[in-house]
Amino acid sequence: MKSPLFSLFRKEVIHILRDRQSLFMVLTMPVLMLLLYGYAITLDMKQIDMIVADQSDSPQSRELIRHLTATDFFSVRVATGGVDNINSLFQSREAQCVLVVPADFAETRNAGQVSRVQLAVDASDPNAAKFIENYVTQAVGESRIGSASLFSLEPRVLYNPDMRSAPFFVPGLIALILLLISTLLTSIAIVREKETGTMEQLLVSPVKPPQIIIGKVLPYTVLGFLDGLIILVVGSLLFQVPIQGSLLLVMLMMLVYVVTGLSLGMLVSTMAKTQSVAMLVAITLTVLPSMLMSGFIFPITSMPKVLQWFSRIVPATYFLEIIRGIVLKGNDLSNLYRPAGILLGIDVLLLVLSIRTFRIRLE
Amino acid sequence: MGKIRSLVIKEFRQIRRTRAYLALIFVAPFMQLLIMGSAITNEVKHIPLVVVDQDMTPSSREIVRSLRAVDLFDFRGFADSSRHAVRALDDGRAKAVLVIPRDFEEDIKRGTNPSLQVLIDGVDGNSAGITLGHITSMVLRIQQQWAASRRIRNPSAAGRSDMVEVIPRLYYNPELDSKLNFVPGLIGLLLLMITTMLTAINIVREKELGTLEQLMVTPLGGIQLIIGKIIPFTILGIVQFTVGIIAARLVFGIPINGSIPLLYGMVLLFLMSTLGLGIFVSTITNTQQQAMFVAWFTMIFALLLSGFFVPIKNMPRLVQYLTYINPLRYFINVLREIYLKATPFRYLWQEATAMGILGFLLIVAASLGFHKRLN
Repeated sequence: MKSPLFSLFRKEVIHILRDRQSLFMVLTMPVLMLLLYGYAITLDMKQIDMIVADQSDSPQSRELIRHLTATDFFSVRVATGGVDNINSLFQSREAQCVLVVPADFAETRNAGQVSRVQLAVDASDPNAAKFIENYVTQAVGESRIGSASLFSLEPRVLYNPDMRSAPFFVPGLIALILLLISTLLTSIAIVREKETGTMEQLLVSPVKPPQIIIGKVLPYTVLGFLDGLIILVVGSLLFQVPIQGSLLLVMLMMLVYVVTGLSLGMLVSTMAKTQSVAMLVAITLTVLPSMLMSGFIFPITSMPKVLQWFSRIVPATYFLEIIRGIVLKGNDLSNLYRPAGILLGIDVLLLVLSIRTFRIRLE
Repeated sequence: MGKIRSLVIKEFRQIRRTRAYLALIFVAPFMQLLIMGSAITNEVKHIPLVVVDQDMTPSSREIVRSLRAVDLFDFRGFADSSRHAVRALDDGRAKAVLVIPRDFEEDIKRGTNPSLQVLIDGVDGNSAGITLGHITSMVLRIQQQWAASRRIRNPSAAGRSDMVEVIPRLYYNPELDSKLNFVPGLIGLLLLMITTMLTAINIVREKELGTLEQLMVTPLGGIQLIIGKIIPFTILGIVQFTVGIIAARLVFGIPINGSIPLLYGMVLLFLMSTLGLGIFVSTITNTQQQAMFVAWFTMIFALLLSGFFVPIKNMPRLVQYLTYINPLRYFINVLREIYLKATPFRYLWQEATAMGILGFLLIVAASLGFHKRLN
């Protein structure tokens, strides 16, 4: 094997191995990012400050309060007799919600009438407000005595029964970090040769443009794939997110996705004039869209239509569907052929585009 | 004072000449608010729903109808069996499945309390929780209606009025619009990003071009140089913030409920931190590229640990302690409080003090770094 492609491949590998400092950064930075993001991003709510203004102060109202304190969700403080000004309680952030149990609570209960309790919620964080409302309604519903309903609801939460945040975020983080790293890796590959003047030397050699591009993408694929494996293992073990589906399939799809990032970076590299511009463009293209538009945190279905269309050209959208599917839902290719196919298509498109722009630049 | 004045005038001439700055200050806030403000939402809407109706009676149809009526769900049709429905969940074609069992209506009439089965894709735990809450309250409402209209007689449901009803009152954001929460935060984030970046890059560029040396051989002292940099960028920051709040008003119709002078006072305190950070970054880096990277990295840190996406209370203890050294944490808090809750200063002095101290420390650190460069 003395083909030009192979010698180029060898040259790149030597370059990568020689720059120990960068290599170290490329291998450790993803893990650091995973740890930081993984611990900082959690939507599991707990210890919401609640004040119960118990104007009734009766066994019945205490029974109700007992139900609320039973969960870890609220940290309850009881103010017997009531509170003066709910607004200032919220402004001073002493409480995030106030439950007012009226003075006639015990009487209405004993008389078998509907008793009403008032729940004031600081809704400046709407997400938390919604959860508080649901939780209180449920807890109060549980304390209802012997009222038979017409029918009941039997909910079953699949794939993530405890509705934890980690299974949702860890695969997402892998998608985010992997794309960022792999795009950054190649984004300076061509520009650097241009800046240092070694590009001319490459061009007078008998290597053809497609060979240059592929010879540069290949070694970084190995590196990016290694990164992916590391964060997959660390994320899965540390945050307790077991992989339900086939590990082999996850690895295969990671390979496809790493190539997406690398060819995107390659495209940027063929177009940019300087290394700093290339890096800046690479970061802008990957971080924000992958974080905001891919369904990483914010559900795509809740966005305006225009942004939903935009989310379809973000590669992370498809990889998120794939990796969450395999890791959490135990999906196989029969469920995922569509996003997998699209991702492969994006790979080919980006590679062809970068070879073409590279050719044009040459002339 | 005259020296500083001429320095400030020089800065402004440079800023006016650089088109990119003007775009950053006037156009970027509008664009970013528009895009990010629309994309960032915790609201749960249009959940794809598949129904398995094994009962096919007026009652089951009424339940399906009421679920289709709300925009929480996107009705994606019926499935023949639970197995098909689970397959839809696996494929991601549905995120929620409702199974109405055979003889549902019969069982209600008989009083045997049948159960509706709801299957929810729990991958996104937050959305799943909200969806579940919605379905639960809808089902309760339907039962109340049926019980009231006595359309379906249920022998065992005679004493149904014996219950506790929760009357919720949502303060400050009754529609639970997540924009009201995120947009003020975004304004704070943009202010940090743009002012820190600009100061850092501005000074490093003077270093690269060698004009910083020229400034140093002038009779200006280090402190004067720093003040000469801080004044113009403070003014820029205030202009940019004003553009931000106007954009929030025009694009999303979000007004400021609290005191505007208080808000601007807080902005000044916060700018001490962002400019101090910018100058500090410029002292430890040598090229614009490095400066950009360090600034970018610090900003991601600041963003994650600010409570912008995720309430700080949800984080592990250790991470919570880290947030105390983050000026953005206090500023975003203050912005949200003043914007939505009209919170007066007497409840915000702690945040103000923290921002003041952090800003002061950062500026001192930056000046020390600057001095070292001079010697």
